[in-house]
Amino acid sequence: MATLDLNQVSKSFGAAQVLHDINLAIEDKEFVVFVGPSGCGKSTLLRIIAGLEEATAGSIVIDGEDVSTAHPVDRGISMVFQSYALYPHLTVYENIAFPLRVQKLPEPELDEAVARAAGILQLTDKLQLKPGQLSGGQRQRVAIGRSIVRNPKIFLFDEPLSNLDAALRGDMRVELSQLHKQLDATMVYVTHDQIEAMTMADRIVVLKDGRVEQFGSPMDLYHHPATKFVASFIGQPNMNFVPATVTGTKGGLGVDLEGGHQMVLPVDTTGITEGDRVEVGIRPEDVALGTSGLDVSIRVLERLGGATITYGTIGSAETRFCASLAGNAPVEQGKNMTLMIAPESCHVFNENGDVLSRLGVPVPAK
Amino acid sequence: MSELSETQSVATTIVRSKRTVLPEKWFAAVLIGPALLFILVIIAWPLVETVRLSFMEAGLGGEKFVGFANYEELIESKKFHKTIIRTFYWMFLSVGLKLILGLIGAMLLNAAIPGRGLFRVLIMPPWVIPIAVGCVGWLWLYNGQFGVLSGAGQYLGVLDGPHEFLAYKKSAFYSAVVTDVWVGTPMVTLFLLAAMQGVSRDLYEAAWVDGAGRWYRFRRITIPQIMPVLVTMALYSAIFTFNSFDIIWILTQGGPRGASTTLIIDTYKVAIGNYKFGEGAARVIVIVILLGAFAAVYMVLLNKLLRRYGSK
Repeated sequence: MATLDLNQVSKSFGAAQVLHDINLAIEDKEFVVFVGPSGCGKSTLLRIIAGLEEATAGSIVIDGEDVSTAHPVDRGISMVFQSYALYPHLTVYENIAFPLRVQKLPEPELDEAVARAAGILQLTDKLQLKPGQLSGGQRQRVAIGRSIVRNPKIFLFDEPLSNLDAALRGDMRVELSQLHKQLDATMVYVTHDQIEAMTMADRIVVLKDGRVEQFGSPMDLYHHPATKFVASFIGQPNMNFVPATVTGTKGGLGVDLEGGHQMVLPVDTTGITEGDRVEVGIRPEDVALGTSGLDVSIRVLERLGGATITYGTIGSAETRFCASLAGNAPVEQGKNMTLMIAPESCHVFNENGDVLSRLGVPVPAK
Repeated sequence: MSELSETQSVATTIVRSKRTVLPEKWFAAVLIGPALLFILVIIAWPLVETVRLSFMEAGLGGEKFVGFANYEELIESKKFHKTIIRTFYWMFLSVGLKLILGLIGAMLLNAAIPGRGLFRVLIMPPWVIPIAVGCVGWLWLYNGQFGVLSGAGQYLGVLDGPHEFLAYKKSAFYSAVVTDVWVGTPMVTLFLLAAMQGVSRDLYEAAWVDGAGRWYRFRRITIPQIMPVLVTMALYSAIFTFNSFDIIWILTQGGPRGASTTLIIDTYKVAIGNYKFGEGAARVIVIVILLGAFAAVYMVLLNKLLRRYGSK
């Protein structure tokens, strides 16, 4: 059992407050990803959990025990750093053994623990090498090995894949997910990469300006973003936001999209009146070529083989609109196309960026 | 047709230009020539000249070939043996102190203490002010009649009466060591500080998360990480200290009764003071051989350490 609760955690550096009243309840064996743009406070939050920073206010509770002021080693956590933080002068074996040497573990037990970690991470034949002789992915594994031998309650990862190239990142994502299942441990993972968040997380915490925007499962965030920020952050390519005017609130939300297209959207219209300005969020993958709908003039075309991504504009205000179409979609750069949009796939955000909850969206399978 | 001739002319140009360019090794020779000439004139020639001189009885009156006589004299001279031992003692003591103090200083200056920037500037003066000026200051400090040290010693009851530090064999030698350490420590401190600042913060944080205490982190992270700089500084400092002339000369001129005479002071006294150029030259050759051997041992040691503490 290793649950992690953050209660009203705040952090200020001098006059600058970087975290505002963070409340999170992370369950046992859960893989939780903190995601957000640079400077949103995600790394600071992780460092507070690790005990490398002290929270200005609030408490950190691990397994029901308040560890807010405890030394990192007494919190039962281990951390993998973005830079890996391997000791360059020590062999892989000694790097992995480092935490155990600090604990003065007897040699046979230490040897066994290192061998076990090396086995899990396929480093057995690399144990006598030094970090400088390893590839980026191998170094990453050594850093993970060093946290495994500690047998921590909670693993913390601070952007561990950001120093790897794209292909290796993909492989390591899979490895980390497998490792999570194998170790059956609670993991907290920080990244700015929403793909890492979507693919690995059980639940995602989206942070913005030191506040939690939304905490939920990847599919929850994808289908029910609470705010425009979350909607724009989750999903690749990014969601389109089309300005619209409310034309009616009976039997759904009647809107007049920029570019002249009119739709009735199945969302909760509470608090909305005719004439209000809203933004309609449309995912690039939720559109299809058709004969009547939204007119888009295509500026740039990317044919990826399996899909065609078009970047275009709509209306006279030249609002940008991206669409993901079939690989062989009959579209051309510089020409216009008409896109059909299913009303139930649209998201609507009010002027504050808050979502109008969707009615009748299919509940995603977990 | 015109295209063909054009190609031909391009081909000839290439061949021609190939002919006019110097072969690579000659070009390299031209580039290093001036530097090589400089080294030959400034270092190689005087060295050869010194070797030649060491086989001569040379003074103001002229030169006479004496074979190995100068060297035989040195081998037999108990006084010279003592000087060699004293020089190594001087070197190891002074370098050891410089390294220990430098390490402590670098640690303190690297720590997150208020006013750190100011302290980093404040350690510079011993190194920055001319050695002669610094030594005159120390002459005053060591003075028995009005020196601060003598006065403080008496005030604290350590000394019975005025103590002329540079007038007694032991205190003169150790006074010279203290001044040498004072001059040499800032450089060691700054180099070690630079090395410490190069150690990634993440390494310390990772070790801290793993429960490593301050001393453990220092021993297993800081020291190995700065080891290459530490060893290199030790060698540099050793050679400087071995050949340190100005500090001893200004403070004691090697006295009293040779108590602070190192090889370099001895050589100067013989060659320049007594006009015995041949004997002086023989001493210089001995110094070169000793330092050469010392440096060779050091390089072997350095390589071993680098292999052990390096990243590959």
